[in-house]
Amino acid sequence: MREAFGLLLSGDRETWHIVWLSVRFSLFSTLFSAAPGIALGAALASRPFRGRRFLAAALNALTALPTVVVGLFAYSLVTRSGPLGFTGFLFAPGGVILGQSLLALPVVAALTYTGLARLDPRFRETLVTLGAGRGRRFLATLREARPVLIAAIVAAFGRVTGEVGVSMMLGGNIRWSTRTMTTAIALDAAKGDFERALSLGLVLLVLALGVNVALHAIAPDER
Amino acid sequence: MNADPRANAPTPAPTLYACHGLVLGYGGLPVLRVDGFALREGERLAIVGPNGSGKTTFLKSLNGLVSPLSGELLFRGEGVGSSRALRLGSAYLHQSPYLFAGTVSYNASFALLARGVPRAERDEAAERALARLGLSGFGRRPSRRLSGGEAQRVALARVIASGARVLLLDEPTASADAPSAEIIARVLIEEAESGITIVFSTHDRKLERSIATRTLSLADGIACPGPLEEHP
Repeated sequence: MREAFGLLLSGDRETWHIVWLSVRFSLFSTLFSAAPGIALGAALASRPFRGRRFLAAALNALTALPTVVVGLFAYSLVTRSGPLGFTGFLFAPGGVILGQSLLALPVVAALTYTGLARLDPRFRETLVTLGAGRGRRFLATLREARPVLIAAIVAAFGRVTGEVGVSMMLGGNIRWSTRTMTTAIALDAAKGDFERALSLGLVLLVLALGVNVALHAIAPDER
Repeated sequence: MNADPRANAPTPAPTLYACHGLVLGYGGLPVLRVDGFALREGERLAIVGPNGSGKTTFLKSLNGLVSPLSGELLFRGEGVGSSRALRLGSAYLHQSPYLFAGTVSYNASFALLARGVPRAERDEAAERALARLGLSGFGRRPSRRLSGGEAQRVALARVIASGARVLLLDEPTASADAPSAEIIARVLIEEAESGITIVFSTHDRKLERSIATRTLSLADGIACPGPLEEHP
């Protein structure tokens, strides 16, 4: 453990580069999944329609899908003969970000849907009776559900930061290019290099804790 | 030549609401039948009846929040469901009001925000309404940290600040403590005196007598047909 701390404190260039790449990939994929995920969840929650419960159940199921399955699906998209083969995303940062975005999307959508569906029915009635049009109702709903949306985004960030399957399948664990903390930990542990594996594990732990604390501080519970 | 005696008769206020064979309910099940009901501008109507008699359903229907199962409910000659005049000219207050997360000021000025009124103007209107309800200086307080009576008054301030000329109030003093109820009653009397149309449900005979010009009784899922009880 002492060596693991030492590696971090010494500013080991490769270790910190891996950390930086992981955070960058996670931030981008969370960002890319947030808007469509919130829109999808909000659309589902906006009014009852035939098949809504099935869609909600399907979204929930997707949140628990093994990351290698999502990785496999994304792989089939970006492989040279796939529909997105022209992008050159396979074994490149773009591929990791795309795969992680697909992984995060149902998390954001499902949590957004659950949160919005649980809003007090008087909330919508109050908006309507105060003359709020569709656009204003949408903005007010986002504002009202801010803690829920932040929680959804944090959960999505957590999901992509800790995943291995997508990064491994689409990134290929290429040094200085697509090697993330989780794929590096898997590789280093297999090689017997526990020092770096442990140091990256510590960073992951601190990151998960730090992001949650920071975001809860930004959105205090107003109830 | 004799002058037409009708020439000097006061012109009756225009009809706001009218309904014909109205049946209200939920999920296809009727809850309340109302027939021959009409309300003119500036009237103050109390709706009374036991719990579960359909008071809330009727009030919500007057605001377009509950659609008729059958029959017709008109606001200024238009179906309530499609009336933009109703949406912008009326406001409904829940028996147990919902305050948005955020400040009291955000809540009180929301209707004006929804209408695109500039910030300074809506802040001023909100502050004025809050002051009338004894809530001066409450603007920056978080809405979720108010007492029940304060929350009820903020909700009424929000309705009044909206500038609506038709107030639909579901037991406006029910969840308020005695001092808050007194303030609410006073403000409603002021509103009534300024020509605002008020329809409210209540179990409070004193409130009914002090505000209402007419009373509509609901019982057994039927709104009392025929002439309504008129107050002097």
